[in-house]
Amino acid sequence: MSFPAIDRVSSGDKLPELVIEITPKLIVGGAIASRDYQNVHHDKDAAQALGSPDIFMNILTTNGLVGRYLTDWAGPRARLGKVAIRLGAPNYPGDRMTLSGEVTAVEPASRQVELSFRGVNRLGDHVSGSAVLILAD
Amino acid sequence: MSEQLPDLQSYLGGDFGPYRGWDRVNAAMIRHWCDALGDGNPIYTDGDAARAAGHGALVAPPTMMQAWTMRGYCGRFPPGSDTREAMQVLQVLEEAGYPGVVAVNCEQEYARYIEEGDDIYFRSTIESISEEKRTALGVGFFVTELSTFYNQRDQVVGTMRFRVFKYRPHQQGEDSQ
Repeated sequence: MSFPAIDRVSSGDKLPELVIEITPKLIVGGAIASRDYQNVHHDKDAAQALGSPDIFMNILTTNGLVGRYLTDWAGPRARLGKVAIRLGAPNYPGDRMTLSGEVTAVEPASRQVELSFRGVNRLGDHVSGSAVLILAD
Repeated sequence: MSEQLPDLQSYLGGDFGPYRGWDRVNAAMIRHWCDALGDGNPIYTDGDAARAAGHGALVAPPTMMQAWTMRGYCGRFPPGSDTREAMQVLQVLEEAGYPGVVAVNCEQEYARYIEEGDDIYFRSTIESISEEKRTALGVGFFVTELSTFYNQRDQVVGTMRFRVFKYRPHQQGEDSQ
């Protein structure tokens, strides 16, 4: 595996896309791994009673998938400094989310890279936002 | 609906916490997270890889920060935690006729990596409460909670701004513009 070096990264560089299949297993598994037992993340009847068609992904899982996406690209020696997300359409079972990202700023002296990203499902943007990474030296 | 609204700005600020975590940062909970989310970064599961990357020990995914202080299945924080709700203004708005709630933004900054063995707690303050706003969902208020996460040495490990919209849904046929 090769990871981006700060002197080879430029604003406008695209990250490879990552497709995530949104399954009940991922929604429930992510909720439990993040210790989030709100019923809308595991109980379809409860979710429907509150006006949703089905259970949906919790925010911690979305954050975790974004973090994974960024460090998959940057490598294990990079440091994640910031993840700021805006939440949009829910991730329901049977959907598929495609994560994409782009470098928006590079500061070679501090090895800091700023990125924008989005995760799109069939309803639109599930998540969009910005992140800061410090790349390995 | 809103004519009885209390003075919302009186709920601004405050110092809530500590809110503690049930478990110290541990390899099993980290592995379960990485397993479910498909995160193969070795610094989360292999202490040698973490040290080779410059860390002092196995580290947790930064985005897992909040997971260490979740209430969990029993729905409460562990002993030694503040029993007050930082977001009590949401209950006030609920009673004032704004039943809907939706998370809008979550902004996390990481000051240092959380390591195996760390004992994480957080404190919160209400950073902002908007004027009444009209959105596609309804009429209501944006409320932002700023939480600061610490380790057992009282070092800041990160911050989280969490913004929700607490609203009264539009009635059918009502103009949503």
